[in-house]
Amino acid sequence: MSGDLTQRIAQEHAVAAESLPSAVVAHARRRRAIDALVARGLPTTRDENWRYASLRPLERVRFAPVQGNLNLTQGSLPSAIRGYAPIPGYTRYVFADGRLAAGASGPAAPQAGVTVHAPSRTAATLPSLAPLDRGSEPEGAFELLNEAFAVDSAEIEVASPAGVAPEPIGLEVVFIASASAQQGASYPRLRVTVAPRCQLRLVERHVSLGDEASFVDSMVDVQMHDGASIDHYRVQQLGARATWMDTLSATVGRSATYRLHSIGLGAQAARSTVRVHLRGEGAELALHAVAAGDRQQVLDQYAVVDHAAPHTRTEESFRGIAAGRSRVAFNGKIIVRPGAQGADSNQSLRGLLAGADAEIDVRPQLEIYTDDVRCSHGATAGKLDETMLFYLLSRGLDRDMAQRLLKWAFLEDVVSRIAVVELRTQIEQSLAGQIEELDALKELLHGRPST
Amino acid sequence: MLKIDDLHVTVGGARVLNGLTLEVPQGEVHAIMGPNGSGKSTLAYVLAGRPGYEVTRGSVTYDGRDLLALPPEERARHGVFLGFQYPVEIPGVNNVYLLKAALNAVRKERNQPEVDAFEFLALVREKMRLMRMEESFLSRGVNEGFSGGEKKRNEILQMLVLEPRLAILDETDSGLDIDALKIVAEGVNSLRARERSFVLVTHYQRLLEHVVPDRVHVLVRGRIVKSGDRSLALELERRGYDWLAAEAA
Ligand SMILES: Nc1ncnc2c1ncn2[C@@H]1O[C@H](COP(=O)(O)OP(=O)(O)OP(=O)(O)O)[C@@H](O)[C@H]1O
Ligand SMILES: [Mg+2]
Repeated sequence: MSGDLTQRIAQEHAVAAESLPSAVVAHARRRRAIDALVARGLPTTRDENWRYASLRPLERVRFAPVQGNLNLTQGSLPSAIRGYAPIPGYTRYVFADGRLAAGASGPAAPQAGVTVHAPSRTAATLPSLAPLDRGSEPEGAFELLNEAFAVDSAEIEVASPAGVAPEPIGLEVVFIASASAQQGASYPRLRVTVAPRCQLRLVERHVSLGDEASFVDSMVDVQMHDGASIDHYRVQQLGARATWMDTLSATVGRSATYRLHSIGLGAQAARSTVRVHLRGEGAELALHAVAAGDRQQVLDQYAVVDHAAPHTRTEESFRGIAAGRSRVAFNGKIIVRPGAQGADSNQSLRGLLAGADAEIDVRPQLEIYTDDVRCSHGATAGKLDETMLFYLLSRGLDRDMAQRLLKWAFLEDVVSRIAVVELRTQIEQSLAGQIEELDALKELLHGRPST
Repeated sequence: MLKIDDLHVTVGGARVLNGLTLEVPQGEVHAIMGPNGSGKSTLAYVLAGRPGYEVTRGSVTYDGRDLLALPPEERARHGVFLGFQYPVEIPGVNNVYLLKAALNAVRKERNQPEVDAFEFLALVREKMRLMRMEESFLSRGVNEGFSGGEKKRNEILQMLVLEPRLAILDETDSGLDIDALKIVAEGVNSLRARERSFVLVTHYQRLLEHVVPDRVHVLVRGRIVKSGDRSLALELERRGYDWLAAEAA
């Protein structure tokens, strides 16, 4: 069955091949990707790390990229981002169905030291970028798919102009999906390189315009040189009928720090694979993930962290809530290679079951090939704490409020780590659903009264 | 005010209360003493409405109304307050705003408007001074990381702000140092009033030196086996419970 599907993908690719821009991915490379995809096949839920993913929607997808160019302006942005001006100090880039929508992007010029390049635009609009040495080609099925079909790409390079002390750069990249999967797929693509000791703050969002059953296959590649640092906020708020397949690969150099916040709220079916390679001595990853599922949503995340050098560190936390009939999973795997002595990892994975027919699965996995390491993990999945609930009720709070409060408190220690205030507020509002309630909740949670 | 009649309670398959009868008139302070595991906390929880406690026989009347028919949050709004033997930590939920939500819940029941933020803060500060609690407790999570004694003081702080009509304090004096015990006792005494009743569960007669009870009851194996005035507490301190257990058997 998976074989039939990859055959169909290969055919669609053959038809589309001519029209796919070689500036984004060279034709030969696209062809290699398709061959590799056909050879390895798409995953199935029988595969070890795909048990919780929802792969059924793939059957109905037209894999060729969505045609045409959505003429987006600031005014036509989806409600998930409209009304929010770009975060102060951040430059926003908007991609619609995988293509840069210059009309909705801005302010025009990013800060000094950053180059943003979208191959779909002429070099006059955006300065061209020297080719980057990115090492190996992708291996995961959905990465290959993106590689084969992507029509555009956000290419970000952060470097400090000669003689200038590096200053943190703020970028917001918004990927909008609008077309239905029958019309074609959307292939967000984001490649980031941060030069030694440079800092980047990156907000990456995936949202829908309208409520089509879109198919979105995103690929993110992050390269961090020695001493670089990134605060990367990934927010998935696609529409209720969308399918999201996502792969992020990151390589972290010596003494570089990658802080990755991943917030999964939307889509019907979402699967995100995160692979972080801690390649240089003292490289650090902090991965903080939140997922809130409701209705029939499937939110599945798989994170592999590879400690390949001495004194590398990982701090990983996940808080997931499964309400309604949703399925929420987080599988966190830590590998410590031979020679990575002094590696240190800590995983705190917690799931909360908030619906009688919901499902939650949190799974830490360790693969250790060296002696001198410290790896600890805690994983819990359960219902709302009855003792806490009773304590709140015994103080006169109504049950509904008490339950919501405890759900919030559960997410709070991860949500509160979102340092970009504007973004955190938006996330909190999305989580709370209703703004009037939010104010009351916020008071109870943070003790910061609404103003 | 509170009338408990022939109360039988089963919890986790164990029959813990076996025909407990007790009346606490308005304005009085009653102490309940008894050996570990005799059912004191069970009684407190049943009065507050904790799920999992099955009443198989008997009744509880509060202010002439069937207390057992009310869900816990409504009992609280009608002025029943339980000071927990083990106050619960709720990280992420702010201490002072829980207090505010609790106060507003009570006020709503009394058809009073929501408390003014400014007045509320002044009120809480005043009560915190009484409890010798530092301002920093305002901003912390509910009981989060509080020491044992701090948790108990926080319970009393809540009681002072909420001004319940029936306060059930389950071993609020346990784990307190001598000064803290006096502070807590002062807190309780400051609320003593003609329209308010207290049930104090305690193991130590020391608390009763500071909060002088109207009656002392001894709970053994789920029943009140002896009642008396405050001198009973002194006698228990001297003689322990064995003689009563023997008497009850
Ligand atoms: N959930 C439960 N399942 C089974 N037995 C229980 C449960 N809860 C309480 N019990 C039992 O009921 C009895 C009374 O417990 P309770 O906590 O009311 O005692 P207590 O008088 O408050 O004791 P202490 O002085 O130690 O606080 C004990 O024997 C206890 O083991
Ligand atoms: Mg007890």
